[in-house]
Amino acid sequence: MLSRWAVESKAPRFRHVRGIVFWILCGIALLLIITPALAIVISVLVKAAPALKWSLLTNTTQNVQNPGLQNAILGTLVLSLGVVVVAGPIGILGGIYLAEFAPKRLGGTLRFFSEVLAGVPSIVIGLVAYTALVVALHWGFSVLSAIIALSLLTLPYIVKTTEVSFAQVPRTLREAAIALGLSRITTIRKVLLPPALPGIISGMVIALAISTGETAPLLYTASFSNTNPSAGLFHNPIGYLTYVTYYYVQLPGAQDQALASAAAGVTILLVLLLIFGGRAITARQRKMVARLDV
Amino acid sequence: MILVRRRAGGSSTGPARVARTRTHELTTGDRILQWVSGIAATIPLAGLLFITTILVIWAIPAIIYSGFTVFTSDKFFIGNFYNLNFSSVNGVVAPFGANYGALTFIIGTMATSLIALVLAVPISVGGVLMLSEWIPRQLEGPLSTFLELLAGIPSVVFGFWGLTVFGPFLGAHVYPALSHLGVVLPFFKGSWAYNGQGLLTASLVLTLMIIPIIASTTRQLVKRVPVLASEGALALGMTKYEVVRVVTIPYVRTGIIASALLGWGRALGETIAVLLIIGMANNPPVGIYGTTSTLASTIADELDSALSDGTGMALRAMAMLGLILLVMSLITNLTGRLVVRRISSDALPVGRGV
Amino acid sequence: MNVRRHASIGFAVITGAVLVSACGSTSTVTAPPTSAASSASSSPTAAAVQTGNPTGAQTLSEAGSSLLYPYLQKLAPGITAAFPNITLTPAAGGSGTGQSEALSGTIDLGGSDAYLSAAQVSANAGAMNIPIAVSAQAINYNLPGITNLKLSGSVIAQIYQGTITTWNDPAIAALNTGVTLPSTPIVPVRRSDSSGDTFIFTSFLSATNTTWASGPAFGTTVPWPAVSSELTASGNPAMVDTCHSTPGCIAYIGVSVEGAALVDGLGEAELENASGSYVQPASSTITAAVTAGASKVPANLAASLIYETGAQAYPIVNFEYLIVNPSKITSSDTALAIRTFIEWAISSTGGATADNLSAVGFVPLPTTVIPLVNTAIAQITG
Repeated sequence: MLSRWAVESKAPRFRHVRGIVFWILCGIALLLIITPALAIVISVLVKAAPALKWSLLTNTTQNVQNPGLQNAILGTLVLSLGVVVVAGPIGILGGIYLAEFAPKRLGGTLRFFSEVLAGVPSIVIGLVAYTALVVALHWGFSVLSAIIALSLLTLPYIVKTTEVSFAQVPRTLREAAIALGLSRITTIRKVLLPPALPGIISGMVIALAISTGETAPLLYTASFSNTNPSAGLFHNPIGYLTYVTYYYVQLPGAQDQALASAAAGVTILLVLLLIFGGRAITARQRKMVARLDV
Repeated sequence: MILVRRRAGGSSTGPARVARTRTHELTTGDRILQWVSGIAATIPLAGLLFITTILVIWAIPAIIYSGFTVFTSDKFFIGNFYNLNFSSVNGVVAPFGANYGALTFIIGTMATSLIALVLAVPISVGGVLMLSEWIPRQLEGPLSTFLELLAGIPSVVFGFWGLTVFGPFLGAHVYPALSHLGVVLPFFKGSWAYNGQGLLTASLVLTLMIIPIIASTTRQLVKRVPVLASEGALALGMTKYEVVRVVTIPYVRTGIIASALLGWGRALGETIAVLLIIGMANNPPVGIYGTTSTLASTIADELDSALSDGTGMALRAMAMLGLILLVMSLITNLTGRLVVRRISSDALPVGRGV
Repeated sequence: MNVRRHASIGFAVITGAVLVSACGSTSTVTAPPTSAASSASSSPTAAAVQTGNPTGAQTLSEAGSSLLYPYLQKLAPGITAAFPNITLTPAAGGSGTGQSEALSGTIDLGGSDAYLSAAQVSANAGAMNIPIAVSAQAINYNLPGITNLKLSGSVIAQIYQGTITTWNDPAIAALNTGVTLPSTPIVPVRRSDSSGDTFIFTSFLSATNTTWASGPAFGTTVPWPAVSSELTASGNPAMVDTCHSTPGCIAYIGVSVEGAALVDGLGEAELENASGSYVQPASSTITAAVTAGASKVPANLAASLIYETGAQAYPIVNFEYLIVNPSKITSSDTALAIRTFIEWAISSTGGATADNLSAVGFVPLPTTVIPLVNTAIAQITG
């Protein structure tokens, strides 16, 4: 393959022109990636800026003169907490199993299906949660059905990042644990978990970012509530930020559009905070692991 | 100096595997942990089975009612609830006039996702090549932040931006210009809504949503091209473009195809952004700018109307649409994952259906 | 390893079994229900309805019709002023959502321009649609300079079927002699959500055009014929907005939002009624229609006031309903609050004042209907 190039004699200028054309196109492609990313974030924040006032935090969407986002923000926080409580332990334990205990073929199968679950569209998960939990089990629009839907959605990510974090712990630590004759559970708890923890946390942060930004699976499980979240797992609709944007952007009134913009702005700020926070943690982990590697 | 690349991921190598085989040395605590975590590890599989089972059980009456017309008919109507007669086909009773033909939505889903794919792959690959070959190392980190930014933007914010900023911009400035091209390429002829709602706008926004998936995988793969091969080609006098063409692309081609399939899977399931931008019409689009509907957006939009159906068939029709969508996503996702597994088992590309 | 595989399979089987058995409990209507329009048992003297201020604070959640929404926004402060423990929280969302959420008990009151279908009533025993006012719907268009355009239901049906595509079509010109109509293409706008406005609009089209009646017919959602230029909007305010931005558009808009439509420069069409005259929605023409139809209102209050006869009767008139499902009411205090609210809302000294009604273009319930409403309210018990 290389020899063909050595023999072929194309006019040098032609080759360079082709190169220049190609790289110009690539440059345009890079611009097409950067510009929309910037444009979206900037235009959403610009639209949201005039609507960002303190009353957003003190009023609920029910307030007619001055609607706020209090119920939506609290609802999102409650749902996120639910995801951490439900999907967190299951995902972390699952990741531990795949990393430490699973025989090769079974582990491969379970891992594979976990990744397949990651590809299921979020609306399908919402539809299933609706038919099975809200309707068939008569839970009604409920906090629990919403949390289950979000957990199904984010579980593969937590499992994957936990497994990868454990696998990236340096061999020297494992070898030391074996040499000391530690039991498996002690090894995991005392030796492997501390270096793997930042990675696990970043996985949880990804899960939180996903559940903060999701709308489709919540539409028919959480429905929406114009009041602050109340106790009760069943028959208890709850509000969430993304719904406010989705619903109010379709109404033409200026106040409604302002509320939609504010909600979009707050959502994007929260998600960006989570993503960059997660990145910072992963960067710390890399440094830590590098230091541990003898 | 030869650089040894440490393989990241892949947990079934090294001492861990050795440790696992020493099962006779497990303490009670170990066994408990093994069982509990084992059950936890099967939950994704159980969840997948749960989803499939529910959809199939609920969709069966609608499938019996519609038969093959699901794929051949573009008439989807949950029925006239106010007519006192009912429509009974193959023993299943549905409201009068109910038709569950999903052709419109299948066309809409395929059209939007394919256009998005065709646009996203060159843009992602081109952008990544630019990033890795020309951009200085110091800038590369910050610029790749934009990729993560794009990946993290929630779907509803894409929809918000598409409906309030991008769509009107396209409808006012871009589409009039494009339709002049329609003289030469009849593909671009057609009328569009004032706020840009329609197939093309939705496809363009979908493109932006799947670019991060393809770009991040491509970037990882480009980093792994053997340094010897690419530097050797440069030593022989090839231009950077020729190196890319001869060395890099063949090496990453399979990975690009795999990530394209994953991106396609995501585009198929994208709901909220499409719902806000595509115009939600119950018929196939008239021209490239026309309004239509996709499987995912129809489920999200019509599920609340389905609740008013006293016979319950509308809900089953929704489950049927969900099943079709699930099968389509599973096929593209499975194919993509099977190819990706052979190349890299690094973290899944971020940017799920947020 | 085998045990684990069996465990996960067992898990799936058990899950499936639980779900299948749970599914077995959902009912499907397998036979056409007996007509819900009940015949006899209309007691002329209504039972005394128990109303009053509930003992604890009661919040009545309402959602649904965007046509009824502005009226309920007007009533909300008044009910709390009259009965301090009752708070009404109205919302829009479309009559379909109002119906389904009220029937499932997610909300206390569902606002709907459309009465419940027979299938819905038989699937939810005891559910009621209770009218609280009479409203109407206008047909608006975006043709600057053209006022008082005359249209008939049949012509409008043909527009929404795609057979009439430009404003200067002979069929439209025939109704408007002496007016020069432009050749602008017609852009029909329809509701995308499950809508009571769609219900009354399509009822009007079905009453005036046989092709429409045997085709899309009427309902809160219908199979709209594919018209390439057709636009959709969600909710009445969005209909106004879309039509305002689209020259040549035609849209059906509820009277409660009509003020905004007219301010925006949209024209209001004069519709041909069953007696052949051309009328616009106004309190006199709406009252003429409801007076003509009042005697036909059955005990279950599901009545259509579309296309009534009468020289001055406006053809698109409807009752505004609150959907209540007593079987989902959990406390007698909530039931008391609901009864009190509805009784107050229909009373001319309570909610149905001339000011409140005229602000949204509604007219009060006819007096012959009030006893039937009282009988229905008396059945709301916790």
